[in-house]
Amino acid sequence: MLAKMPEQDSVYDVVIVGSGAAGLAAALYAGRYQMRTLVVEGEFGGETAKAGIIENYPGTPKIDGYDLMQTMKQQAIDVGAHYLEGWVSDIDGEEGCFVVTVGSTKYYAKTIILSGGAERKKLELPNEKELSNKGIHYCVTCDGPLYGGKRVAMVGGGDASLKGVLLLGAYAEKIYLLARSTVKGEPINVEHIKKLGDKVVILEGTQVAEIVGKDKLEKIILTKPYEGSTELVVGGLFVEIGAKPNITLGQKLGCTLDKFGYLEADTLMRTTVPGVFVAGDTVNAFGAFKQIVTGAAMGAVAATSAYEYARQHADLLCKVHWKIAPTGIAA
Amino acid sequence: MEQTQSQKKHKVVIYSTPSCMYCRLAKDYFKQQNVAYEEYNVQADVLKREQMFKVSGQMGVPVIDIDGQITVGFDKDRIKQLLGVS
Repeated sequence: MLAKMPEQDSVYDVVIVGSGAAGLAAALYAGRYQMRTLVVEGEFGGETAKAGIIENYPGTPKIDGYDLMQTMKQQAIDVGAHYLEGWVSDIDGEEGCFVVTVGSTKYYAKTIILSGGAERKKLELPNEKELSNKGIHYCVTCDGPLYGGKRVAMVGGGDASLKGVLLLGAYAEKIYLLARSTVKGEPINVEHIKKLGDKVVILEGTQVAEIVGKDKLEKIILTKPYEGSTELVVGGLFVEIGAKPNITLGQKLGCTLDKFGYLEADTLMRTTVPGVFVAGDTVNAFGAFKQIVTGAAMGAVAATSAYEYARQHADLLCKVHWKIAPTGIAA
Repeated sequence: MEQTQSQKKHKVVIYSTPSCMYCRLAKDYFKQQNVAYEEYNVQADVLKREQMFKVSGQMGVPVIDIDGQITVGFDKDRIKQLLGVS
């Protein structure tokens, strides 16, 4: 996998922030539109790369999430996308041209696709930070296998949580699934969990009230008694309670937020700022239904919209910077 | 335990689990840099799991030991620094 390095001070038709399923699908489509494309990769693969085995991405009956994202990345590289490892520290509009700062280097772009995903929510309880990785974990594919033969709890009633329970089912002695209301994952995953029998105890309407432990997690206190007690002794506590969209860069550009706190976008993935598009978990296009396939679809649409925008405004965008380097899409 | 070819002199150990993405990113990086490493699968090897806890004081993977310097997670900038890679 040999990615082309970004060209400093040159003008890109599109800079894509983020390299999860949405960003990489956008890069693939942008590349096929022959746009000069730069992907700024903060963390490779986004949530998909950490998801373990994927069984619901069309065309791939069963694939490891990490491998799927490597393939997506390679596809984007094959159509000419440039890659840059790093985090966007600043982004601004300047005379019809966006300026993207990564480290001390600036890159110019006619359009932007924001696909920086979302940050996993934490429980926000006392002792949580102190016991992080000392019994409390946020990556079940990473740390779940360390709890072979142990009693563990999984917090969250969504599909990511159910998949986590299924993974833990291969190792743990007992798994308590704590759902704030009811379990809401895909029925097929619920069925798989039922096959684990008594190993999994589902506690609906139950949350973690307190985390107890000094050097490592010792037990948790539940909001609702289980078998007559609110104390639950577990060696590990895994947290899968959703994520907060990464909206900072969008806000910096002046994008409006929707009532749920995501970047507002229309069905063509256009934000309220001309030339700025969005895809993936930073936008609420499909409501709470956040899948690899929906992220990839949004990326494809965002790239198409960015292409149309850059083509229609080719005689206006980044003209100040034409003297620096030519761009891919002609007026 | 896995041994890769190396052109470097650093002693690198990675404590990992097979399904851990950050472990794979770290190993891919070492291979790309031609850095030899020893890998301990702490899912299967309980003694190495205990050793990982002893050296890092925590139970998250990967734990990377470069010449005795411990890094938790795939902190690429720190790893570059410890390897002397620009």
